[in-house]
Amino acid sequence: MVAMNTRGGQPQTNLRPIRPVGIDVPSPHHRETALAGAATHSTGDRPSVMDAVRTGAAFEPVIHPEIDALDPIVQTRGFELFYGQTKALHSITMNIPRNHVTALIGPSGCGKSTLLRSINRLNDLVDGVSTRGEILLNGEPVYAPDVDVIDLRKRIGMVFQKSNPFPMSIFENVVYSLRIDGERRRNVLMEACERSLRWAALWDEVKDRLKESALGLSGGQQQRLCIARAIAAEPEVLLMDEPCSALDPLATLKIEELIHDIAERYTVIIVTHNMQQASRVSDYTAFMYLGRLVEFSPTDRIFQNPALPETEQYVTGRFG
Amino acid sequence: MAVTADNPAPARRLHRRPTPLSARGEPIVWITGMAMVVCMVMILVLLGLALVMGSLTFWPRPIERVTLRTGEALLGVPVRDEAYDPGAQDAAAIAALRQAGQLDPATLDREGRPKRRLYRVGNREFGEPFRWVPLYTIAERSTEPRAVLLERLDWGVWIGIPEAIVRQETIDLPAGSEPPAEGRTPDGLRYEQRVTGEEGPGGAVRVLRRTYLAEGDSTWDQFKLVHPLSRATAAKVRSMQKHDVGEVNFRLESARLKMREAELALARTQSGRHAPISLPAWLSIAGLGLGAVGLGLSLSASRSRALRAGRPDRVGRRMVSAVAWCVGLGALLGAWLERPWAAPDMTPEKLAEVRREYEATTARLNAEYEEILRRIRAVDFEDAATRIVVREITGGRFAPLRQTEPDEPLRLSQVVLGVQANTLSFRGKVGVYLERWREFLLDEPRDTNTAGGIFPVIFGTVSLTILLSVIVVPLGVVAALYMREYARQGLLISIVRIAVNNLAGVPSIVYGVFGLGFFCYFVGEYVDTGPAPAHVAARSSWWVGVLALVGTGVGAAWLGLFARPKPGTAATGNQRALGWCAAALWVGAAGGAVWLLLTTPYFNGLYEANLPNSVFRSRGLLWSALTLALLTLPVVIVATEEAIAAVPRTMREGSYGCGASKWQTVRRIVLPRAMPGIMTGMILAMARGAGEVAPLMLVGVVKLAPELPVDGHFPFVHLERSFMHLGFHIYDVGFQSPDSEAARPLVWTTTLVLVVVVLMLNLSAIRLRSRLRRRFVGGAF
Ligand SMILES: Nc1ncnc2c1ncn2[C@@H]1O[C@H](COP(=O)(O)OP(=O)(O)O)[C@@H](O)[C@H]1O
Ligand SMILES: [Mg+2]
Repeated sequence: MVAMNTRGGQPQTNLRPIRPVGIDVPSPHHRETALAGAATHSTGDRPSVMDAVRTGAAFEPVIHPEIDALDPIVQTRGFELFYGQTKALHSITMNIPRNHVTALIGPSGCGKSTLLRSINRLNDLVDGVSTRGEILLNGEPVYAPDVDVIDLRKRIGMVFQKSNPFPMSIFENVVYSLRIDGERRRNVLMEACERSLRWAALWDEVKDRLKESALGLSGGQQQRLCIARAIAAEPEVLLMDEPCSALDPLATLKIEELIHDIAERYTVIIVTHNMQQASRVSDYTAFMYLGRLVEFSPTDRIFQNPALPETEQYVTGRFG
Repeated sequence: MAVTADNPAPARRLHRRPTPLSARGEPIVWITGMAMVVCMVMILVLLGLALVMGSLTFWPRPIERVTLRTGEALLGVPVRDEAYDPGAQDAAAIAALRQAGQLDPATLDREGRPKRRLYRVGNREFGEPFRWVPLYTIAERSTEPRAVLLERLDWGVWIGIPEAIVRQETIDLPAGSEPPAEGRTPDGLRYEQRVTGEEGPGGAVRVLRRTYLAEGDSTWDQFKLVHPLSRATAAKVRSMQKHDVGEVNFRLESARLKMREAELALARTQSGRHAPISLPAWLSIAGLGLGAVGLGLSLSASRSRALRAGRPDRVGRRMVSAVAWCVGLGALLGAWLERPWAAPDMTPEKLAEVRREYEATTARLNAEYEEILRRIRAVDFEDAATRIVVREITGGRFAPLRQTEPDEPLRLSQVVLGVQANTLSFRGKVGVYLERWREFLLDEPRDTNTAGGIFPVIFGTVSLTILLSVIVVPLGVVAALYMREYARQGLLISIVRIAVNNLAGVPSIVYGVFGLGFFCYFVGEYVDTGPAPAHVAARSSWWVGVLALVGTGVGAAWLGLFARPKPGTAATGNQRALGWCAAALWVGAAGGAVWLLLTTPYFNGLYEANLPNSVFRSRGLLWSALTLALLTLPVVIVATEEAIAAVPRTMREGSYGCGASKWQTVRRIVLPRAMPGIMTGMILAMARGAGEVAPLMLVGVVKLAPELPVDGHFPFVHLERSFMHLGFHIYDVGFQSPDSEAARPLVWTTTLVLVVVVLMLNLSAIRLRSRLRRRFVGGAF
């Protein structure tokens, strides 16, 4: 009774509506409130992303000249992707540099995974997907009719957000991509397995239980196993879709170190929600928003001196 | 306080009431618990009853000697007591006894109704094997230590008192001698003899002499000694009759069939029904074959850029070349079958040759047969000499050799098992119990299924169940795989799914009728004698049909290729339409294939020579398994579909991401991961199939199958044979048996065996499943 009285006696003026800060949902109301500051920072008469979203047009991203000077491994040329009638990617044009780590950041639902999965054509498996524009891998079009998708995917490794070890032994998991190529020689398989597991910093933990089921590993170990599996086939590009989002900090740290090591030999494209992670592991960072590429620069520039106010707001956590 | 938009009501804390009873879970727990207990009790009672009743059947029970007030005496095994409503006679007799003060009150129940006891008295040659004895008519009951119960090869049990074991032989004494009626052998054994009236060679006097190997109390000890030997001899005779004679008969039959085939071949050649095709037609078929093979060769070898870059792509090119190969090889095969220069298969000269061979073989085999019969007679003669005399006490008659020969005592080897029940120690009883179980599980039934074992029945059940799962699991899994993994999920596939689910609800007898009509009669007849003569197509038109079929197939494949959407794009309306056309063509091709099969002039059936006996055109194991497979298909499909759908999408994507093709993903990821679920489907299917009786009665189960479906003659597994099944056997023994009182305990025992067999089949599948589950589904984080 006492508690009720005190509650009831409180002044009601506290209960005013609070200003929303997120802009996940592109309702006009949100846009105005969230980007009220952005408009004031606007550089010159360049249209903002918000204008592009409002008119449904593509957006001319800010791309740092340093990136285009590098040797690209994956190039997207006005790439667009539709889920049925919904456009999920709006004319993305970017060059992803070889042997570097490129991070894709942006609020959830902005199409990072979609872009990543377009590179190895994993989106072909989704019903009703259609594409426009093109993606080049080493200068060869990925979406040409005579491309062998199987072969393409063998050249591109992928690590998923949720670790997905296969229902077989640890050994068989790692050498899966060799197995499906029909590799039978024991020593070749064993060598590939050990090499990949060492790369993935998992060898010491599992070397005595290679014959055991991979499903018995811990979450972090499973994710590192997936990385080992992805690099066992020596891919040219390694795609990682939020590889650490389900892991504890220690496991995350291990995987970040791993990415660092891998980047010497492979090109890594990593999607992450974690700004610190992006700044720690990546050389270049692309910021995406609602299916559009907004800014693509060296990582330190994105985080310290972004060209666009939207980017700044996102990386400082003021929106998204 | 006024409540407005700016001024909402303050949050009020409600007065706390004690949690109402309905919110607490206890009553629900009780109700659900009670429901579970009811279920458990029902299951336990069922299993417990089968277990107790089934396992008691073989325990040896004491034999009572009962003397009635009329002076009549009988030996019997008490089965059960009951009270009954006395008739006028009973009532009068009871009243008289009561007056005389001789009525034992224990012979009446609490309401004063007289009680009676069912005795198993056996000795079916001379009366009912079971007899109700009103208790008040009994003057005295005692246990007779010498009483024995004989389980005989036929005519059920015999209960009596062993008197002697004799050796019975006919002996020729020197002519003119006067044989004494009794005497002793040099060994000191007593014998009795009488002149038969026949005369031996040289005027010898032929006597029938019975030498007493054991008499009186020593009889039973002697029995235990010589009975196993006697059984072994009898087993030898049976084995010779079955295997050696069977082998000769089989070879005779094979020779006859070979001869008959030759005759049929000649008849076909001469009838002109299968007239060869004309030379131009033959030339065009041969030319087409060569051309198609050439195309296939050139396509397989071609590395042309134009072909590779354009559509059809690599896959298409391979498919076209494969089809060209098929066409070419098919046409060349036809050309070879119809080669104009070939000699006819059979000529009258060749037939005469075959006939000579046949006659020689038959003569040889008949001689062999005589030889075997002679050997059998020799052993059997020896076996027939040793007899056992066991007298029942009511009429003093001994167990006869046959019903028609009441003054010839029983052969020792006709006794399957002899039990002197009243003197058995506990260990002895256990021994008898185990021996009876052994016989039950490992021997064949005797005496119209009321005695003996059920080995063929168990064998039939197990082989049916295994065959059924071998058929249904691959079929169901492949169908489910298509429905879940490959088919476009739309209206059509939903309809198919609903249809499959409804199939599970069709009464099983309907499957039986279908199986009988379709498998046994239609397919069976096709296998036996090939297509009906009226339907057989002329050879030229049949080959035209073959080419049309191939054309349809090629067209369907091409359309299918063009119907595939470009990668990364959705299918257009045109592509959809093309896809439907391709599907229609495939359906047409399938129909055409069936038509070709039903009209082919090149197939005369596998067993035409056996006519008028049918081989596959009858009820049998294969047709039963197929019928039950159809019946259980929905179970497997539904379980597999669910298991496949439960494979996480991330796992498949991981596999595709590694560069695996769809098939590799299905084979290496989806199927292993779904395997435990598939096994569940298999277990359900097996349980359902093993317990089904109604459809089996139509398509293959019989009361008594003469032969197991597996034997030593090529091809060793004879799936066309009818078989026995536990479910039907229970029905047959329980309700169709001439001696239902004797068979009743066997019903329980057979039920117990059925439960155990199904349980064991399931347990082995469950063990396999848990092994797979450990391997493929495993722990989590
Ligand atoms: N399979 C799908 N079908 C339809 N829409 C999808 C599918 N996958 C993603 N989308 C939509 O595409 C957009 C981008 O999704 P996604 O690439 O997963 O975003 P992110 O990974 O950046 O969080 C979202 O609006 C999402 O709703
Ligand atoms: Mg994502």
